[in-house]
Amino acid sequence: MNANVPASIGELQALVKAHDRIHVVGNGSKPALHHGAGDAALAGAGGFCGIIEYQPQEFTLTAGAGTPVSVIAAELKRHGQYLPFDPLLPNSSTIGGTVAANLSGARRYRYGGIRDFILGARVVDGLGRAFRVGGKVVKNAAGFDLSKFLVGSLGHYAIMTELTFKVFPEPPQHRALRLRYAALPDILDAVYYLNQNIYELDALEFAPADAGWSLLLCLAGFEDTLPSRILALQESLRADTAGLDGGEGDDVNAAWQPLAGLTGDYLVKVALAPKQIPGLDARVSHLKRRYSIGGNLAWVATDDLKMLDALLLEQGLRGLCIRGAASSPLLGMPLEVSLAARVKQVLDPMNKFV
Amino acid sequence: MNHPFIQALQQIYPAERLLTRDVQLLPYESDGLTAFQTKPGAVALPVDEDEIISTVRLCHQMEVPFVARGSGTSLSGGSLPIADGLIIGLNRMNRIKRIDPRGRIAVVEPGVINLHITHAVEPYGLYYAPDPSSQSICTIGGNIAFNSGGAHCLKYGMTSNHVLGMKVVLADGTVTQFGSESLDGVGIGPDLVGLFVGSEGLFGIALEITLRLMPAPQLYRTVLAAYDNLGRAGDAVSMVVASGLLPGAMEIMDRLSIKAAEAAVAAGYPPDAEALLIVELEGEALQVEAEFAQLQGVIEESGAFEVRVAQSEEERARIWKGRKSAFSAVGRLSPDFIVQDGVVPRSRLGEALQEIDAIKSKYGLDVANVFHAGDGNLHPLILYDGREAGALERAEALAGEILAMCVDLGGSITGEHGIGMEKRDYMPAMFSDQELEIMMALRRAIDPKEIANRGKMFPGVEAPALQQHGLHPLEKQGVISRE
Repeated sequence: MNANVPASIGELQALVKAHDRIHVVGNGSKPALHHGAGDAALAGAGGFCGIIEYQPQEFTLTAGAGTPVSVIAAELKRHGQYLPFDPLLPNSSTIGGTVAANLSGARRYRYGGIRDFILGARVVDGLGRAFRVGGKVVKNAAGFDLSKFLVGSLGHYAIMTELTFKVFPEPPQHRALRLRYAALPDILDAVYYLNQNIYELDALEFAPADAGWSLLLCLAGFEDTLPSRILALQESLRADTAGLDGGEGDDVNAAWQPLAGLTGDYLVKVALAPKQIPGLDARVSHLKRRYSIGGNLAWVATDDLKMLDALLLEQGLRGLCIRGAASSPLLGMPLEVSLAARVKQVLDPMNKFV
Repeated sequence: MNHPFIQALQQIYPAERLLTRDVQLLPYESDGLTAFQTKPGAVALPVDEDEIISTVRLCHQMEVPFVARGSGTSLSGGSLPIADGLIIGLNRMNRIKRIDPRGRIAVVEPGVINLHITHAVEPYGLYYAPDPSSQSICTIGGNIAFNSGGAHCLKYGMTSNHVLGMKVVLADGTVTQFGSESLDGVGIGPDLVGLFVGSEGLFGIALEITLRLMPAPQLYRTVLAAYDNLGRAGDAVSMVVASGLLPGAMEIMDRLSIKAAEAAVAAGYPPDAEALLIVELEGEALQVEAEFAQLQGVIEESGAFEVRVAQSEEERARIWKGRKSAFSAVGRLSPDFIVQDGVVPRSRLGEALQEIDAIKSKYGLDVANVFHAGDGNLHPLILYDGREAGALERAEALAGEILAMCVDLGGSITGEHGIGMEKRDYMPAMFSDQELEIMMALRRAIDPKEIANRGKMFPGVEAPALQQHGLHPLEKQGVISRE
């Protein structure tokens, strides 16, 4: 993609003023978000790159929206901290793209998603105005919280140039556990069981496996207590749920990589509640899929996007396609329009951002 | 209040749920910010969604300003009436409509009291996390309007972080819903829940709210450490953070607030402490014990002259009782006080406290300090005697200097109480004219007649006169407390 890459907020404002239709792109790690842009001018975020302010003792980090997630993660790691919302594509995406598409990975299960960790932002809106939303401290209740609104906004309301997040100390150690279940209802029972017990899981994922289903759990904490915590977890899952076999796995990464093995032309995120899984799964049993963050999110790979779009609509679900040549990345149920349209009217009245 | 409007309301409400007589309106004249009082024109008490929607539509049509009100505990004057406007009292919208323990959610009406949710889900081993000090009386609708916090925000966030979905009526009468029962909330598309929560009642009224529940901690470890100076307690917080621990709560009280709390509830705090630090760990027992071992090491090195660990739930409750009652307790030391709610970066807490010391000397007023040290959220209590001429004005000026300092140090003018009526004149200290204009434009796009909670959040609107002094009547009875 040939994008204009403004080097400063002034240049970005000029770009916005000079074009009627503008589409924002970071690293292009989610190609499906860009196919519908048509002839819109492409605005690259690469000019807003780098960590601007990081104070480990404050648990806050501010970075340019075009900063690669990997750069932020590496800097945090040097200070024993991490982004608890766990960016989904840590090696290929920018932080701005991650926020715009609201893409979290498996570890989001422990403390929350992007909306729970974004504190503030600087943006340029459709009228070319540059301004700040939210704040830079971990707690702030002043003014309308437009920074949370940016999460999932797909660049349709304003272009982010800078983002501030709350960050956390990273637990020193992780251990994974894998259990096999005969069927989906069994695994959902296990998820419900875990939901009502205190196990503080870092990740809780499940997917169909060779013979039945595989439940992947990850615990985080101190090295000396992790073995006994894992053991207690394993024992209670065997005793109180229909866990068949399996045990401690050394593959923490397998628990953390929800997209591994999901081959197919299109890859779609579906937001759902665990109780909606049986209805969906019965219809996508022929597809590669994985249920993430305790069954609150599904990843489905398909070669037939139209079918999936219709299916999600029928099930009252929404999807976001991040891979494949989709004419629109939004699938299933239409988005809310009443309140969102008012924001659009204020921030981008000429409908420049597509 | 104009007659045709009342007549139209009478079509919606039976007489016992439409209050118009002076004596009926009296309890609604003020809220938790007791320095202000205004008489509303009428109070309507809806019992279902349809009544709320009809009322908002009527207000929009006839251009009558309204304030949605829960229990009226706002500390920023957020639920203060608009003179001759309508109060929509939501306390009767107090049904917990559904609890889904397996999915860990509760669907509630806006008038449900915060703590009642935890009580309702306790049998399932769950709880609702946000814990403002007034949680035994404040409502979820009010918590949503002001994105209420509490002592346990650092780890699990404020109200906004616990709302997954909502159905609302916007100020122009449009009914819409967003979010879901998924932990991912809105998940796809802009996060409208995040935008609506904390909008201080200016966008409309939440009709139905889907809340996230959490598993109740298996174990708490609550530590009380006493220091011979405030700076050392502040340093201890930095040491805890630097050690990589993430406690559920970290609170500091200074000498004056300790004295007040002792006098009020006899919490048994060390009598000669200049500062107290409360640190609480919570969660899975094995993990909490390991964290506790680490915390003990940090506290030992922090120079505390006395350290107590709660050995029972009673002892834990006692430690918290002193802290949570500190605000109303200060009422025993002084006829009147103002609570501030500024935030500074945690590493600048020491600097902020020194600065507050300097400012208070200048005004000749006492300030007691209680704060959520974990997230840099200060709660200076400015003591004054409202019967003394000019005292309130001096206290307000002192408060203003503290807020300006918070902004200068890179923080915020409010961490959890909101702007409301009280801090609207300080908004320009935090936001540029353009930023304020954009927020006001957004408000007008949703509420073109500016009828929803008119006069709150934005500077430059007519202010009700400062009148009352003393504690809120409920505070005097010990029913509510300010945090």
